[in-house]
Amino acid sequence: MTNQLKLTAIALAMLVLPVFVLAQITVSGTVTDANNIPVNGASVKLRNSGIGVSTDDAGKFSLNIPGNNGIIEISSIGYKSQAVDVSAGNASALIVKLADDVGRLDEVVVTGLATSVKRRNLANAVATISSKDLSGTAPAQTFDAALNGKIPGANINANSGAPGGGISIKLRGVTSVFGNTQPLYVVDGVFINNTATPANLNFVTQSQAAGNVGNQDNASGRIADLRPEDIENIEILKGASAAAIYGSKAAAGVVLITTKRGKQGQTKVNFSQDLGFIKARKLLGVRQFTAETAANLGGSAASADPDVIAGRAALKQQFLDAQAAGKIYDYEKELYGNTGFSRNSSVSLTGGSEKTSFFFSASQKDEEGIVKYTGYRNNSIRLNIDHRLNENIKIGVTTNYINSSADRGLFNNDNSGVTMGVALSSTPNFVDLHPDANGVYPNDPFAASNPLQTRDLVVNNEGVERFITGVNLDAKLFEIGKSVTRLIARGGIDFYSLKTNAQFPSVLQFQAVNKGTSIQGFVRNQNTNYILSLVNKFTPSSNLDLTTSAGLTQENGNFDNMLDVATQVVAGQTNVDQAGALTATHFRTQFQDNGFFVQEEASIIDAITLTAGVRLDKSTNNGDQDKYYTYPKAAVSWNLTRMDFWKGDLFSNLKLRAAYGQAGNFPAYGSKFTAFPIFNVDGLPGSLVNIQRGSPDIKPERTSEFETGIDFGLLKGKLNFEMSFYNKTIQDFLLLRTVPLSTGFASQWVNAGDLRNRGIEIGMNAQPIATKNIRWTSSTNFWMNRSKVTKLTIPPVELGAFGTTLGTFNIEEGKSVTQIIGIDTTKSGAGIVTKLGDTEPKFQMNFTNEITFMKNLSFRFLLHWKYKGDNVNLSELLYDLGKTTPDYDADNNHNGVIDSRDRLSALGVTAQPFVQEAGYLRLREVALYYTVSKIPKGLNFIKGFRIGVSANNYFTKTKYKNYDPEVSNFGSGFSTNVDVMPYPASKRATVHLSVDL
Amino acid sequence: MKKLIIINIACFFATAVLLSACKKNIGNLNSPVLESYDNPSKAQLNNLVSGTESGMRNNQAMYLDVVGMIGREMYRFSGAEPRYTSDLLGAEDAVLNNNTFYLNNPWGSRYRVIKNCNVLIKGATNSSALSAAEKKGYLGFAKTIKAHQLLTNLSMSYTNGIRLDVEDPDNIGPIVGYPESLTAIAGLLDEAKTDLTGADIVYSLSSGFDGFNTTAGLIKFNRALAARVAVYRQQWTEALTDLNESFFSLTEDFNDGVYNVFGNGLGDQLNLAFFPQNQNGEVRVAHPSYATDITPGDDRINKATLRTASASSADLSSNRDVWVYTSSLAPVPVIRNEELILIYAEAKIQSGGAGLADAVTALNKIRTEHNLLPYAGAVTQAALTDEMLRQRRFSLFFEGHRWVDMRRYNRLNQLPIDRVGDDVWEKFPLPLTEN
Repeated sequence: MTNQLKLTAIALAMLVLPVFVLAQITVSGTVTDANNIPVNGASVKLRNSGIGVSTDDAGKFSLNIPGNNGIIEISSIGYKSQAVDVSAGNASALIVKLADDVGRLDEVVVTGLATSVKRRNLANAVATISSKDLSGTAPAQTFDAALNGKIPGANINANSGAPGGGISIKLRGVTSVFGNTQPLYVVDGVFINNTATPANLNFVTQSQAAGNVGNQDNASGRIADLRPEDIENIEILKGASAAAIYGSKAAAGVVLITTKRGKQGQTKVNFSQDLGFIKARKLLGVRQFTAETAANLGGSAASADPDVIAGRAALKQQFLDAQAAGKIYDYEKELYGNTGFSRNSSVSLTGGSEKTSFFFSASQKDEEGIVKYTGYRNNSIRLNIDHRLNENIKIGVTTNYINSSADRGLFNNDNSGVTMGVALSSTPNFVDLHPDANGVYPNDPFAASNPLQTRDLVVNNEGVERFITGVNLDAKLFEIGKSVTRLIARGGIDFYSLKTNAQFPSVLQFQAVNKGTSIQGFVRNQNTNYILSLVNKFTPSSNLDLTTSAGLTQENGNFDNMLDVATQVVAGQTNVDQAGALTATHFRTQFQDNGFFVQEEASIIDAITLTAGVRLDKSTNNGDQDKYYTYPKAAVSWNLTRMDFWKGDLFSNLKLRAAYGQAGNFPAYGSKFTAFPIFNVDGLPGSLVNIQRGSPDIKPERTSEFETGIDFGLLKGKLNFEMSFYNKTIQDFLLLRTVPLSTGFASQWVNAGDLRNRGIEIGMNAQPIATKNIRWTSSTNFWMNRSKVTKLTIPPVELGAFGTTLGTFNIEEGKSVTQIIGIDTTKSGAGIVTKLGDTEPKFQMNFTNEITFMKNLSFRFLLHWKYKGDNVNLSELLYDLGKTTPDYDADNNHNGVIDSRDRLSALGVTAQPFVQEAGYLRLREVALYYTVSKIPKGLNFIKGFRIGVSANNYFTKTKYKNYDPEVSNFGSGFSTNVDVMPYPASKRATVHLSVDL
Repeated sequence: MKKLIIINIACFFATAVLLSACKKNIGNLNSPVLESYDNPSKAQLNNLVSGTESGMRNNQAMYLDVVGMIGREMYRFSGAEPRYTSDLLGAEDAVLNNNTFYLNNPWGSRYRVIKNCNVLIKGATNSSALSAAEKKGYLGFAKTIKAHQLLTNLSMSYTNGIRLDVEDPDNIGPIVGYPESLTAIAGLLDEAKTDLTGADIVYSLSSGFDGFNTTAGLIKFNRALAARVAVYRQQWTEALTDLNESFFSLTEDFNDGVYNVFGNGLGDQLNLAFFPQNQNGEVRVAHPSYATDITPGDDRINKATLRTASASSADLSSNRDVWVYTSSLAPVPVIRNEELILIYAEAKIQSGGAGLADAVTALNKIRTEHNLLPYAGAVTQAALTDEMLRQRRFSLFFEGHRWVDMRRYNRLNQLPIDRVGDDVWEKFPLPLTEN
């Protein structure tokens, strides 16, 4: 016992010892790039310590280090790191020249929950997106939209153009059919909830009443709340081999987001202001009627029915009257042709002392949509503080408050003719829908609703109050000889309350039955998580580095949604009690997941890296909630150019790598229960069996991924390639299978079989020109994925759209997971269902370039090419059925029958016309920035000044016939790329102004 | 020193394990689950009774639309749903699909109610909270409703059959053909009658069962359904026997009967078969032949009111709205006296002989009540069958009968074809999932 006390005393002494060390020297100098241009914000650190500063605008730094000598490390994103031995003799006026790191080999990338490695030794192709890549060119409205086209290996698709986001991100193919297909988002160690909560617009639209019970409310995923401008860096772990240590939440990949941190030095104030406008990316045009075609709306000219004859005459007269009065309208333009104004203001403060540093930002974004009365507002305040208690203990706190509000309009599929798109599709140009002098809107005689009235009077708002806070603790517990043990604890809370507010006043054409509807939804969501880990770094010799980490994790989620639907609402009122009838629903989910992990990483002569680890996880969502599931991983990378035997200088860098890992996906909450929801009648409470049958034995899905690749650099690092191949299998994938309806159920969760994704990713980074006056960096990526259902223990399952008549998805053994099938009697026998397409693109490419002239003028652009891949386009069908398609009367195939008739006669015969190619070449971002280098005298308080212009999604080349090839009627799940009257996509142009004080 | 590390690591893990050790068992937070009916209380069984009644209304409007369209009673126009006018009417080459909403939704909703009835039957059988008579009360109700729901689905699939034994979802029984299924449904109704005889009713039913919420009332309801099944089986004598034990009356109100009722209370439903008049886009209009075929002066023309403007879609058009359910709270009949009078007439006609005179009496009751002169045609089986079907057409308009009736008498070829290439379907395919 005494022995132990003694040891504890020694340990304590070691913790406080450095405080008493008095000897120290001051190191100072300048950091520049290869062209002697000062590098601002470079990190200057004493090796193996927490002591460090960053350089100022002139590239200068000054750092006090204990003792008489040491090694300082200088690093900055985009440059190769350098280590400099300093001693009292050479400590002042150091000049450090950093070389460009085109291949980003010196970038530090995470490999565990608490460990990281430099890219040059990394075994996986981890994509990283810097702050500049994310929002530095042409900023998107929301965080999720800002990722589009930037992640090699990802298939990203915007659900619609509605303000406030809503994006589906699938990393390396479909990893789940009915389970979660979206990656896990982790912001500074806090697991972020990305639920999309529908506002129950279905009550009014009845979109789930007929063909498909999937939600079509077009809610946005809550990841859209994050402000891209606060983000320093994003790392994307695309598959299980990189993400295994996140266990059963990582099957769809992990997006690790690091927000900006404070830096030691004088406090910098930045003020930035963006002003811009938003317009529809494309308008389709409208059908131009003639007296004759107007009459045809009333029935065939050949009809002898007196009603039809009278109807035709009336319509003809209506057209002629409208024409004479000049009242021929373009309702598409009236609805979608608004030019929205956008404004984004932000102020940030960065600074810190030796012990404490901080980053603060406050910002507001306010944008109007291309449909009047729609728009998006986001207010955000962030404070990130880092504090060093002493030499050994660092603590960091991140806090972010977000208030966002999105007015999203009423769009997508419906079965009651009330969404603007569906109403527009059957409204001809000669009817007058405009309100009279008293503000009274006429009924649209051609539709169930007057789209102008709907636009002006319907409210569909998502309002969010969100608070995200995280704590990071990094404590050096022991340093014994060559072994350093740290405790790294990270955790946090993501809390939000979401209010969905949908208002349908009684004067609306379609409120004749309900006489005014107010749908108010309240969500309270709380997610908490922690990761406690011990990391031991043991360096027995300079050629060997061993990092052992072990820890515990826990995640909790608590989602609580109350939804009130009031009908017969008193005129002018919105409160749900100001109504004749009220129904309420209440839905809750809760889970707790527990896990632990161990991981060992070995680095041999800084050239060979070996990693092995395992994670064990259990969840209350599993059939057996006490069972631990095991997810192993192993990886190896070998950097040949760092070996002694390596000769020649063709390759500046050559690395071979391979990695294997497993990850999981928990079943959805409630999968194991056969529930009895409430179904009342006449005031009597009733319980009616649910259509989803419970599965008491449900297990998580398991993804196993093998990834291998070769990375090499040529021309002294000016040209770098990264090539990867992956094979990802998903075992026991979760499927909501259909069951014989005669069982009383419609569906049941099962672990239904296996599927596979295989793909290739090739990246090229180059610096074709690097002179004093022109610097050009270029990056090209190519990626492709192919999927296959390799085993299915149940019959093929149709899902995700509106049945085979119109084209739908089908999970079928031996076929692509994302195939689209449909009836096609034109080719083979009657009613034969056949494959008509696939939403998977053949490949995708992006091309990013930045050219800087004379240090001041910078031109950047991002091109994104999605080659092929199909959509189910039902919007065109609805326009055809509504007889308003712009090319309704055309006969482009010269068969003597108008094209709309050709298309419509396919209905019930073949679904081929609805499955349309949706590839595109898109100029996602283009921008020109000018940095003012000489600030006029008298304005010395200004340290930097930058102006720019940018355009976002301004140019798209596509064969696709509706508003945009990026579309998803069913939101961000499995069945994206179904097009039913979405909010049309928009493009943006913005002027930027940024001042550093 | 190594020991210290181990001790510290051990402490760290011990604390962490304590933090995560609070073992959670999160049940279903949102509703009862199947297991809660293993030995249910009366209150729980009563909830199942109301849930069953409530569930009968699910997709009822869609069923009425679907059989109403195939039976050429009406058109359902929908801006966003072309398949009403293509598939259901067999436009050009379109056929009925075996995995589409118009089949799956009503079919599944009926079996969902049947499942609920089976849970109710099992729960009542196993419950330790019931007397023998109370138990019989639950069983009689559950079996009667189950029989009605099976009959509704059989009306869609006809000779493609239905599944009768669906208690164990892992082991469902075979598809049974049309006549065998009808026999089984009749048997189930008889079983239910036996259960109801001497039963105690300890549950509440909605106002749709007003006058029928007692043992005697439920037996009358049960027999009315039995009479319908009997005429479907062409068992005319049985039909007349069943009518005698039902609420059939030549003197009482035509609208006496059992209904599905609607409400705007919490968790209740509105009648989706109601659309206001003169709507656009989403409309139900009467088939033009309804107005052209009806005898002038017949008050049943009020079930198809004139529109201010014709509604057209897919080369179909009509100037009359379907106006059978005139508010969102209007009840939908499960079975009512007017149908029973017509069943009586039908059974009498088909029995022949002296019965024909009784049939004329019954038909005249219908005719005079609807402002028509008494029947003046030939008193022959053939002529009276025509007249009976005609009266059924107008009396039971948009209540889901026309298509079934014309099929029973092999007269589907007499239904009007509106567009070149349209078809009148005889039956629905079985849903894809049943194959």
